[in-house]
Amino acid sequence: MSKQKKVCFILFLVATFVVLFIFNSHEVIGAGKQSVTAVKVKKAPAGSDDPAWQKAKAVEVPFEGKEKFAGKKASVTTKAVYTDQEIYFLFSWKDTAKSVTKAAWAYDGQKWSHQKGNEDRISLLFEINRINNFATKGCAVVCHVPEGAPNAKDGKFGTSSAAEKGDLWHWKAARSDPAGFADDTWVTVISEEKGGRKGDAGKGGDTKNITEDKSMPKYMLAPGKKLAKNDILLVSHAAEIKDYSAFKAGDTVTYRMPKMPEGSRADIKAVSRYADGSWTVMLYRALDTGNDDDVAFNPRKKYNFAMALFDDSGDEDSYDSEVVSLQFGR
Amino acid sequence: MDKPTGNRSETIFDRLASDGIVKRLRELDVPADALVWHRFFGALLLVLLVLLFLSGAFMAFYYSAAPGSAYDSVDYALFTVPFGDVIKGIHHYGWNLFLIVLGVHLVRAFLVGAYKPPRQVVWVSGVIILLFVPTFIITGDLLPWDQKGYWSTQVRLSIIGSVPFIGEFIVRLLQGGPLTGIVALTRFYVLHILFLPVLLSFLIAVHFHFLRHRGLSDSLSGNNHSNKSVRFFPVVVNRWLILFMGVTLVLGLISWYWPSPLGDPADPTDSTFVPKPEWWVLFLNQLVTIFKGPLSAIGSVVIPGGLAGLLLALPFIDSAPERHPAQRKRVMLVAAIIAIAVLALSILGYIKHFRAPHS
Repeated sequence: MSKQKKVCFILFLVATFVVLFIFNSHEVIGAGKQSVTAVKVKKAPAGSDDPAWQKAKAVEVPFEGKEKFAGKKASVTTKAVYTDQEIYFLFSWKDTAKSVTKAAWAYDGQKWSHQKGNEDRISLLFEINRINNFATKGCAVVCHVPEGAPNAKDGKFGTSSAAEKGDLWHWKAARSDPAGFADDTWVTVISEEKGGRKGDAGKGGDTKNITEDKSMPKYMLAPGKKLAKNDILLVSHAAEIKDYSAFKAGDTVTYRMPKMPEGSRADIKAVSRYADGSWTVMLYRALDTGNDDDVAFNPRKKYNFAMALFDDSGDEDSYDSEVVSLQFGR
Repeated sequence: MDKPTGNRSETIFDRLASDGIVKRLRELDVPADALVWHRFFGALLLVLLVLLFLSGAFMAFYYSAAPGSAYDSVDYALFTVPFGDVIKGIHHYGWNLFLIVLGVHLVRAFLVGAYKPPRQVVWVSGVIILLFVPTFIITGDLLPWDQKGYWSTQVRLSIIGSVPFIGEFIVRLLQGGPLTGIVALTRFYVLHILFLPVLLSFLIAVHFHFLRHRGLSDSLSGNNHSNKSVRFFPVVVNRWLILFMGVTLVLGLISWYWPSPLGDPADPTDSTFVPKPEWWVLFLNQLVTIFKGPLSAIGSVVIPGGLAGLLLALPFIDSAPERHPAQRKRVMLVAAIIAIAVLALSILGYIKHFRAPHS
């Protein structure tokens, strides 16, 4: 083969592969669907200010308000990185008020009552097993379905069949963050009792701090213990109140006491900060926890997830995102 | 003493009564000219075809041809089965490479006038293979039951449906009903893994048959080796095997580093998804865009059909013995105009679908 022919031949091969890449490496996500790319980092970020986050591209995910937030909009800046073992998400969003009250007890000198106020939250839903049409319609087919839908009843929701399973990550400013976690739960077919939402295997969630007659708190901070972040009383730091006369007017006590999660429920760790009118929340978890109630991330695969934002509000009042695609960079 | 009934020196081929075939293959000589570099594309096509058959067979082991489970079965084959995504990638990239090499093979044959007598039937059988190949894409794209495959199929079926007189009938035949559902998926699957491969193998056998009997085209430079010959086995077979291993390795590495895409599961209720046309069909897509309404048949049938007819009839239109491109100026000019038009339409389609805002 002459030199000229060899050059032509090599050019042909190069041109062929260029054509292959140009036309075949394009994304196959739906029109308008946003994509968050988790960047591979050697060293896990130690917090939300870690330089590792500079490598990740920030995606502004828009949210639409529902119910009492109808017509309002919000947005969450989302980033993701991963190591060989773990995946890290960083969320930040504007919020004029830090809400961590969650109906805490307040003493006026004579009686106890619940303070007004809920808490700020962000939740993410991934598919463990495929949820029909979740990839295109997101939470509209699971959590925020129209009234009368077969997988929703009396404010409870779930999937339409037992084969469809979702992994629900639920960061709660008052009920999970003080323990340093996001509540790790999952969603399956709707049932009469509790809808389709279930806690992951193990222990977690929170306990109501209330006496049997529901008139006052039952627990206070145990001697030698400290209140957790945002002055929240953890179950593990609580002791039964023996002498209510020790309280003076203006004292407050946590109503929903976070438990330190264990087992699969303790998979998602959280680091958060509220400053300058914004929340910054870092969530991280093993790529594959090995638990059936968690999505197992394979960096060669793409995943869909949707988010909901709760601004000092209950489950029905939220800002919801469209479906976002999560992919892993190399 | 009785003669032993078994003959220990028998080979496995003797025992399978195929010794005659093996003997013929061993003694088969092919022109040494078949091994020159510019005839490499035919061998490469055969390599890619074998890879496509093997990777397709692997995926078929895990595939479930029902809308409710097809996507999950592909997802399982890709991400749970070890190296499943590499094998799927070989199928994906191999197929695209196959189309490119097929085009180059045809262009080379055209440039050197390989369609001239006595090789007209070799050309015609090759063009039939070229025209037949897209049926694999039409049937294969739907199988993963993802958004891209589903909605691309809807677009293709609507184009087929616009063909006068027989369009609707063909669509009903493929779909097996008014909607693209389980019957359509089953039909596409059976066509893709059974009928079409058998038919393609037959067409290739016919192509080889004509090639063997009508011979290779002589080199334009007159510097050919057709008077020399080499043994098919082991010379040609060994070279082919080396090529096979090389291509497998390259496609495997590409698939490992750039996994082939799998989109979202098909959602027939989500009409917001706009599929982007494949690179090889961009010019046809542009034609359909240009000719709309009552003129749609021009873009979907008349022009593509006319081009196909022109390709098939080429050996009979240009039957003069001159083969050098410089001596076939009129044919080369027409071909250049068509090539420029196809390229221009493809570029326009590319800009529209891949580069324009909100594409």
